[in-house]
Amino acid sequence: MAESIKLTVSHAPFWHSGSQISVKNYHILVATLLAVIPGVLQYGIPALSVVTLSIASAMLWELAMNYVTRRPITIGDGNAALLGMLFAMMLPATTPWWVVIVGTFFTIVVGKQIYGGLGGNPFHPAVLAMAVLMLSWGSYFDFNEALVNYQFDFNPVYPLVLAKSFGAGAVEGFNALDLLLGRQIGGIGTSCVLGLIIGGIYLMLRGYIRWEIVVSFIVGMFVTAFCFHQVNPDVYASGSFHLLTGYSMLGAFYLATEDSSSPVNFIPMLIYGALGGFLAVLIRNIGTHIDGVIFAILVINLTNPIIDKIRPKTSRKVINYA
Amino acid sequence: MKRSFFGFIKPKLTYSAITDSDAEPVSLPVSKDIRLLLDTPLQNSRDLTLSVGEQVKAGQRIQVTRDARDYAMASRSGQVTEINPFLGMMQAQMTAVSIAVDSEAHQVADDEFKAISQSPSLENAARFLQGLPGKPDFSPFFESDRPVKAIVVLGVDQELLSITNQYFVKTSIESIKSGIDILRKLTGIQNVVMAVPEHLVEIAGAAGAGVKTVDLEYPAAHPELILRHMMANELKGGDTTSHADAAFFSAEAVSAIGAAFNTGKLPLEKLVTFISKNGARRLVSVPIGTPLKDILKTFDETIREGDRIIFGGPLTGVAVYATDHPVGGDTDTIMVQDGSQILENADVACINCGECVRICPVNIPVNILIRLLEAEQYEAAAAQAELDACIECGLCAFVCESRIPIFQHIKLAKHTLEQMKAEESHG
Repeated sequence: MAESIKLTVSHAPFWHSGSQISVKNYHILVATLLAVIPGVLQYGIPALSVVTLSIASAMLWELAMNYVTRRPITIGDGNAALLGMLFAMMLPATTPWWVVIVGTFFTIVVGKQIYGGLGGNPFHPAVLAMAVLMLSWGSYFDFNEALVNYQFDFNPVYPLVLAKSFGAGAVEGFNALDLLLGRQIGGIGTSCVLGLIIGGIYLMLRGYIRWEIVVSFIVGMFVTAFCFHQVNPDVYASGSFHLLTGYSMLGAFYLATEDSSSPVNFIPMLIYGALGGFLAVLIRNIGTHIDGVIFAILVINLTNPIIDKIRPKTSRKVINYA
Repeated sequence: MKRSFFGFIKPKLTYSAITDSDAEPVSLPVSKDIRLLLDTPLQNSRDLTLSVGEQVKAGQRIQVTRDARDYAMASRSGQVTEINPFLGMMQAQMTAVSIAVDSEAHQVADDEFKAISQSPSLENAARFLQGLPGKPDFSPFFESDRPVKAIVVLGVDQELLSITNQYFVKTSIESIKSGIDILRKLTGIQNVVMAVPEHLVEIAGAAGAGVKTVDLEYPAAHPELILRHMMANELKGGDTTSHADAAFFSAEAVSAIGAAFNTGKLPLEKLVTFISKNGARRLVSVPIGTPLKDILKTFDETIREGDRIIFGGPLTGVAVYATDHPVGGDTDTIMVQDGSQILENADVACINCGECVRICPVNIPVNILIRLLEAEQYEAAAAQAELDACIECGLCAFVCESRIPIFQHIKLAKHTLEQMKAEESHG
């Protein structure tokens, strides 16, 4: 052989669409800022410290687990940072530092890494962590209590608590526009519903989250709440109230759509989303918990492997089977 | 390659269409050496029909052993200089025969085919024509349990970027027509269909066969998908009992068959679509066996360390190891990629994003499949995740967000299962 040029040899295909896990995660991370920045403006420095602590500790837990399990370092893919961000978005601005760190421990270590890391988790890691914390230290997540020292120019009562305790009539004071613009108390990244929606729509258009799940989740939630409202308008709040309060929009756009724990086929995605929306309202209206979104998403995560079996028939080879 | 800004729409890849601005093929000066690759392993040197130093004629059948089914045609006369084992894809044991080509004035042609071209028969076609450009495959006609009911002439290119077969439809419809007539005579099958892209339908009508339009969206030109489409139409016609099996020939092969019987001389020039690093597309006509480096020299393509040279298209081709790799009868496309353009595969797990599932043309649950394949559960993959249905288009790996080499996993799995089956049947 005359030449000794070393060529690159690899298997087909030799083109790639260019998509990448890190690009996806950073896009989602940036989109969440649309809701997080108004949240930080509303709740001030404590909110900022919760967000930064959550992201930082999530990344450190990830790094620690990479070393413990002797696997490649994966904090660069942006997933740990994203999970830290999503977890912080659900917290009240006054959450103590140790709750944040315990929460990210459950997110990264228990929710993700013990299943083998990204792609192996059966539940949304941040949702799992939130459920654990809500059941263990519920008092920290009582928004009325947590945010009692803040002065707002709107009604500083967590809308879902009001609806649950005093019926639909008590929340008539909240109009949809105020709720949309974040004139309500709640988690750092869940008060400004408009920011969540704009960021979410951007991600849907870019294909970073699946529109099928988002749309069916919202429809499922609205229809269920609407039916309740029709049956007893005095007790059950309207569909739009449910959509614009609590973790509804965060759940629809950012939590239910997590890749690993959600289906990939068309019909299963619709069932999955609709079921999530349905369960969330069911838990809110007749369950004991204030907000049903967290538990609803855990339950639909659980159904994912089964409903994703509903898939289009594979076209078998004509030559061999005809 | 970038995906569309609106990522909820699945990415589309379209085949290249031949245009009037595509220049006529460049012909190369004759190479000093040609090399023929044969699928037969070089095992026992006593069975060899060839020996180093032997003189071969242009158009002579080259076989490794006398009973080997596989052969090649020497495209030029010359002297055999080397016979070496060659390692192909998936460790395929092959043989490479190198020939030092005689000068143009001393070319000697083999006339064995001329004698039989007067009395065409299927056996003779299989014996002489499989070494033609386009590699016509006559084996389906010899399988008695699966009678061929239709012949499909592929006037479309299998690979993205290629325009080789479109060129033949555009310029040589007359010899395609005589090739089709000969195929009809040889096989007795009257049902011949030409599959062409939209822009060649008018020309294809002159070939005297049925015309079927093929979509420009990859992988619509895949034989399996064309056949399925044809059958769907047939079934709509009410003939539900039809289990048509078809034999596929490329337009180039049919054109070569036509020319061979018309002139009594085997055409052994292969038309190749050459894609240079900057994406420019040119046609080049070379004798089969011409080393790649001669083509690179003609087009002034400089190759640096780390570049990638691909025989075939960007989604299904094969990357070659050396610049002396020869052009084969089925080399429709050669593309060169600059080293800086090459994306690396990653070593991360599937994140279950579902892009592959949505783009798969045959609806394979790729997300389930890849989990089984990564765990080397090949039998389970065949039983539960439809491994056998894969038509090997490469789209799943093209869209994979985790950049898993899914296509390679699939090929390896199929290869391993085949080997297991072969071992079982041998005892």
